[in-house]
Amino acid sequence: MSDTVQIFVRAAFVENLALSFFLGMCFFLAVSRRVETALGCGAAVLGVQTFTVPLNQLIHARLLRPGALAWAGLPEVDLSYLGLLSYIGVIAASVQILEMVVERFFPALFRRLGIYLPLLTVNCAILGGSLFTVERAYGFGEAAVYGFGSGFGWALAICMLAGVREKLAYADPPEGLRGLGLCFLVAGLLSLGFLGFAGIELR
Amino acid sequence: MSGGLRALARPIVDENPITLQILGICSALAVTRRLDTALLMGASLIAVVALSNAAIAAIRHQVPRSIRLIVQITIIASLVTVVDQLLRAFAWELSRQLSIFVGLIITNCIVLGRAEGFAMSHGVRASFLDGIGNGLGYALVLACVGAVRELGGSGSLLGVSILPLQEHGGWYVPMGLLLLPPSAFFLLGALVWAVRSWRPEQVEAAEPLPAAAAPASGRG
Amino acid sequence: MAAEADRTNPEAPAAEPGAARTLAIAFAVCAGCAALVSASVVLLRPLQLANQRGAREARVRSLVEGVPGLSEWGTGAGGATFELRAVDLATGGYASDADPEALLRGEGEGPPGEALPPDQDPAGVGRVPRSAPVFELRRAGRLHTVILPVHGRGYVSQIRGYLAVAGDGNTIRGITISEHQETPGLGAEIERPEWQQRWQGKRLRDEEDRVRIRVVRDATSADSAEAAFEVQGISGATRTGDGVSELVRFWVGSKGFGPYLARLREGGDR
Repeated sequence: MSDTVQIFVRAAFVENLALSFFLGMCFFLAVSRRVETALGCGAAVLGVQTFTVPLNQLIHARLLRPGALAWAGLPEVDLSYLGLLSYIGVIAASVQILEMVVERFFPALFRRLGIYLPLLTVNCAILGGSLFTVERAYGFGEAAVYGFGSGFGWALAICMLAGVREKLAYADPPEGLRGLGLCFLVAGLLSLGFLGFAGIELR
Repeated sequence: MSGGLRALARPIVDENPITLQILGICSALAVTRRLDTALLMGASLIAVVALSNAAIAAIRHQVPRSIRLIVQITIIASLVTVVDQLLRAFAWELSRQLSIFVGLIITNCIVLGRAEGFAMSHGVRASFLDGIGNGLGYALVLACVGAVRELGGSGSLLGVSILPLQEHGGWYVPMGLLLLPPSAFFLLGALVWAVRSWRPEQVEAAEPLPAAAAPASGRG
Repeated sequence: MAAEADRTNPEAPAAEPGAARTLAIAFAVCAGCAALVSASVVLLRPLQLANQRGAREARVRSLVEGVPGLSEWGTGAGGATFELRAVDLATGGYASDADPEALLRGEGEGPPGEALPPDQDPAGVGRVPRSAPVFELRRAGRLHTVILPVHGRGYVSQIRGYLAVAGDGNTIRGITISEHQETPGLGAEIERPEWQQRWQGKRLRDEEDRVRIRVVRDATSADSAEAAFEVQGISGATRTGDGVSELVRFWVGSKGFGPYLARLREGGDR
């Protein structure tokens, strides 16, 4: 049980996908002007991440890893090079399904998210989560926790940044820094803050 | 002729994908701790975006609208896989440093952005050059950040010691912050500031202040 | 192609084709991409394997050459041989059914080994495989040094390295760190030869066969009985030092290479 919590804490805070690895930043910076938008996007990423990370882990462990196809009588085959194509395919399909579900059951959210929903397919954080899972050779359970944790951490970071940016509308920065430049600096400060989580262990 | 050259030159500063179009930042930051990884990443992206632009432009009349996004992604993902394999074959140690970030070129906004925004509506040659131009703009930013971070954080460039480190008998005490993630954000912010001070037409318009008492409207 | 704009003027989009044609295009794209990817992988695979092996051998060789008395191993002079074997961790004997090359690459073991519960896993190793690779250096037929791949959790990252132990199964000849993401300037100092040299000559276990080796903040004086088991840590990087300490203790302990090293101590040389 503590193992689960440990993975969650590391995924959400110590190794926050947005603030420690800079994944999903394009999205982050384009979307994070208002907190409601950020909340909606964060929820969408959380959903997609929790679904695709364990699924991609299964695909890697059962189909692609060297020796994975032993159950089919092909223990010598190494299909890991198909990884990138498979993961992005799974993500694209998942986002498509999510889009249809949201349009059907949460039409207000669908309208608010607009273009950002299909753009989830190319959110680096989502693909990055799957790639990290494979690189660290997580098991299925660990991958599920990691998917949820990393999605949660990303959503948290984007909402924090949106909150700060809303307040920054009242700031009076030099013209060259207005908007994007200031956003980078704020993100840097948030990242610095999250560095404080490094080395945290829950035993 | 000049149109192609302009397509090449424009993205480097005037429409630098990172500073103006807010694109492709993700991998820009994590690999810039050292200059050699930053350059290799830049080169990989130039290759992918130029070739994918060319490939997509070549088949743009054949691809039906309904599946064009997934076709683009498939082509880009295949090219990235090939580039990844090439890196592992010819630059093994460096590719291990780059870790998952080569794979993340698939989701790099520049690549897909140019595929959809340019290659789907222009010829092969123009698209190829546009790809190289955008890639060079990206590589330039990466190289700048990478050079500053490596020089300031380790006292070296491309592994060659430039500022002798104190622990090796020199005088330079390295700035450890430059080797940590937040510094990349700060450097990019400073870079954007510098570019926009040089080219004021890139400055963003001031956002209208939200009305004090009205509830924030749910704009998408 | 029809009259195209080679300039930067966009063109009008084409008409929307039917379902059959859409499927055909989709299939053609898939087939083309598959051919491209498969061809590149097949052609490049031998080069990649050679590179991996080369990089790993360079790493191990640099460890070997950095240790006093081992510098001539690279040349094979004096009847020196260098062999990669697979060891069954539980028994300490050789695992005849495991391929050491594959083990070193991190594959070939099937599903990863048993997962350790956190309270038995101070080093954050996670999963212990059934077999592990070791390098054996022999001179004139006698086992001179063994090199053990080790890994574990540091302060913020997985630390990977190689530990060189003398043929007596107890004296450390050296250590090298091949992978880590510890704090630059602090924890990252573990990759420096100056720190790694502090391990040379230290002993793993005492006369009562207890694992005593560890990284300490303040080493006792060099002539005390304790000194043989203590490695001075890096100031400001206690947690990283602890991480290295725990991982070394784990891998020379009963769940790691302990049984194998015990065989060496008993003098069983094959």
